[in-house]
Amino acid sequence: MNLDQIGLWAGVVFTLMIFSYLLGDNFLYRLAVYIFAGVAAGFVFIVALQNAILPWLRLTILAPNLGIGERAFGVTPIILGALLLLKISPRFGRLGNLALAFIIGVGTAVAVVGAVSGTLIPLADATADTITEDTLSSVIVLIGVIATLVYFMYVARRIPGQLATTGRRGLLVQVISVVGKGFIVVTLSALYAGALLSSLTIFSERVAALIARITGG
Amino acid sequence: MRRLLAILASVITIGVGLVTIYDLTVGTGELAAALLRLVVATLALMIVAGVINLLIVHIGRMRYLKRGWVYSLVLLVSAFATVGFWLAGQSEMNDLLLNSVQVPVESALAGLLFFALVYGAYRLLHRRFTWTGLLFIIILLVMLVGALPLEQFGLARQVREWLLSVPVSAGARGILFGIALATIVTGVRVLIGQDRSYRE
Repeated sequence: MNLDQIGLWAGVVFTLMIFSYLLGDNFLYRLAVYIFAGVAAGFVFIVALQNAILPWLRLTILAPNLGIGERAFGVTPIILGALLLLKISPRFGRLGNLALAFIIGVGTAVAVVGAVSGTLIPLADATADTITEDTLSSVIVLIGVIATLVYFMYVARRIPGQLATTGRRGLLVQVISVVGKGFIVVTLSALYAGALLSSLTIFSERVAALIARITGG
Repeated sequence: MRRLLAILASVITIGVGLVTIYDLTVGTGELAAALLRLVVATLALMIVAGVINLLIVHIGRMRYLKRGWVYSLVLLVSAFATVGFWLAGQSEMNDLLLNSVQVPVESALAGLLFFALVYGAYRLLHRRFTWTGLLFIIILLVMLVGALPLEQFGLARQVREWLLSVPVSAGARGILFGIALATIVTGVRVLIGQDRSYRE
């Protein structure tokens, strides 16, 4: 039995161990999950080291003929990482907030620009394009988009004599949000059906692979 | 000192955020790319630290023979074996681990999801009757029946196509618009110093 055959049989055993969960939580299932977690942790470690940390070190700190500025730039992630590790210390934990602030600053800026240029503008363009195609469908799409957005609108009128935290939505907003709720239900239901079909396909593929391996097909 | 650090954290977030936005929208994008590279390298270091922490936790569980130490042993052996093969330059062993452990376990877990989803739909039917629950089940059935490659269900297939291209498309766009708007609002709140949860 060569290495490939061992691998194929190991795959069969692991699949059966995971499927044993259908009979309830058991030792074999947990064993497979822990082996999976260990291997996954190992691969994550390798990928982070091989694809991010080592190239970074080679390009900055370990690179020949670089100025002090470039080397300082190369050391920065190590300083930021060390600051983040300080967050586990009750005494110096607040120093870790500086590194966190840097990461949040860059992340927020990228997220805002990405949301505008990657989602908002292309989606608005795509929705505007549908309006010119088919009248009835385009009207439904337009109503659906607006009603879905209105459903998530949490602006309410304050009720006189009541706490500032309680309020009531206007009648028009209530009606539109009911329509929006319907569109959201239809969307989530379709996504649910998609997830069901995908998982059924994967399940049947696994069962077919098991049968083929066991029967030698 | 505590107050100074809090102010410094706000200054860093707002300063770095505004510089990045400026460079991404008006500037050349080089500075933003450099800042992003810094963040990626820092996060990679943190991922490595996280994996090391996971191993330390399981070594502790094994050392004191806590409940489930056998699982910890298995996890440690598999993690060290994966890294060990990589360090020894035996890439074919890593490929074997990937194809015989990662892929089968991941796909088997995804296959198990089918049972969880069916059970979820069954539980929904047992909850109290609402128009949204009824609509959900009807659409779910239409979508499933419409996906069957049978001649008899041609109408269901047409309805499914229409549902996907019109109401589902509208709902998905509405949800995506909502996510984008919420991202922008939250981002702007952070960048103008209104949201300072990172200082806690």
